[in-house]
Amino acid sequence: MRRVLVVVPFALDEAGLARRRAQTTEVSLHPEVDYEFRGVAAGPTSFQSQHDWLLLDVAVLEAGLSAEDEGYDAVVVDTVSDSGVDALRSMLRIPVVGPGRSSLLFALTLGRRFGILAQWEPALVRWRKALDEWGLERHCSGIEHFDTEPDFAGLIGAKSDEILPRMEAACERLIEDGADVVCLGSTTMHEAHGFLSERLSVPIVNPGPLSYKLVEMLLAAGATQSPKAYPQPLVSKREMIHAMVRGAAGESSP
Amino acid sequence: MSDGVKRVLVLVPFPMSPDQLAKRAEQQDEVALPPGIELHYRSTRAAPSSYVSAHDYVLADISLLEAGMHAQDEGYDAVCIDTVSDSGVAALRSLLDIPVIAPGRTMFLVASMLGRRFGIVTMWTRWKGLYERTLRDLGMEDRCAGIRSIDRKPDNRNLLAGKEEEILPLLGEAALRLVDEDDADVVCLGSTTMHQAHEYLRATLPVPVLNPGPLSYLAAETVLALGLTHSRQAYPRPLDPKQDMITTMLIAAAESESGAAR
Repeated sequence: MRRVLVVVPFALDEAGLARRRAQTTEVSLHPEVDYEFRGVAAGPTSFQSQHDWLLLDVAVLEAGLSAEDEGYDAVVVDTVSDSGVDALRSMLRIPVVGPGRSSLLFALTLGRRFGILAQWEPALVRWRKALDEWGLERHCSGIEHFDTEPDFAGLIGAKSDEILPRMEAACERLIEDGADVVCLGSTTMHEAHGFLSERLSVPIVNPGPLSYKLVEMLLAAGATQSPKAYPQPLVSKREMIHAMVRGAAGESSP
Repeated sequence: MSDGVKRVLVLVPFPMSPDQLAKRAEQQDEVALPPGIELHYRSTRAAPSSYVSAHDYVLADISLLEAGMHAQDEGYDAVCIDTVSDSGVAALRSLLDIPVIAPGRTMFLVASMLGRRFGIVTMWTRWKGLYERTLRDLGMEDRCAGIRSIDRKPDNRNLLAGKEEEILPLLGEAALRLVDEDDADVVCLGSTTMHQAHEYLRATLPVPVLNPGPLSYLAAETVLALGLTHSRQAYPRPLDPKQDMITTMLIAAAESESGAAR
């Protein structure tokens, strides 16, 4: 049995984690691979400013830092922002997969240009940065949002009647603008994937489930991130990082 | 088919004897495929002698299109092409709803998930045009750190058999130069016919090495598991599919070749 650690970017309770774990039922996974979900110990409340991004990098790094020693065979980070992925890759030799960059690259196996369905206006600044950083701007036909504040714990849930048609309309705008493939802009949108796939004329990439399959692909191919692209630090500050986030978790406890 | 098994048709781009086809099929032993995936290998009826010129590319496209265009009606769940050139993929995608996997672009995109830039190590300098074509089409020329060739004319039927001692160290040396001199983070094998070199390179290089054939099988499994296929928006159907005409052309091509051989 291979074990994969899925790092969830919020400090969620068991019900919140279960909603994230539901993504594993949306795809047929290898019977010999086990997925274990773990929330970060402490982190930002929102994800819309550089302050939030930085805190999430640290939180995800801390949550996955010891995965290799804990016997995991791979790590997935359950956020399309790929927060913490680069830092984890610099410290781990097991594959570390972030659904953001890889879902956009994967979309290019299915069509020439992808459109991104973002959550709301404040998410756009991060998407523009990501496209620049990943060098994928020329492959993106557009970004549209459906003007809904994200609910990182409850996801879409009971609000689906109101939210799903708005998501569909935003996807239609992406297709009009030339998207061959639509990438869901957050793993928190996974509950909408079935609804959108049934109604839209192009493939819809669901980043969470895709990231599990990509991990399985890398494990089967015996491939991992390049140590040349992600060099190890001269001195690992593992204990310091654990202490920082544990400290933060203690401080933020009631 | 309702037995839960997913059948993948792998198209081999040259007419082959059963022995030669078996050498291509050995690629599936190099990767642990998930249960429930079956690979069936089929060679084309006719082919160019090699893939080195625009003349060859056109013949490669049409011969692979012909070999796979009925795959969906035959009950296959996906099609893979056993060539990094991705020949025939675009035309097959325009006719088929089932996923058609392009090993070249899949490998370059997966390489881009694992590092900033990748290099391509290949047998033959004359194959460079194929890679450049795909990289241009993908708009990813800037991600390719370099292409290094050992410039040995490949044997696309018997592959590396009997020549391992000579070829493998040369490939290792060329691949290492991709990493050390060209700054590649990931090494891509330039042909599915080089699959016998994968294990050697993996053991000797300090970076990941991607083996396009087996990777394409895993990619097929991935899109099937996710219920995805290529976008119809990107690969529109023809108004008037000419399958019969295409079959007639390839039967005539095969007859012409066997006449030429006599």
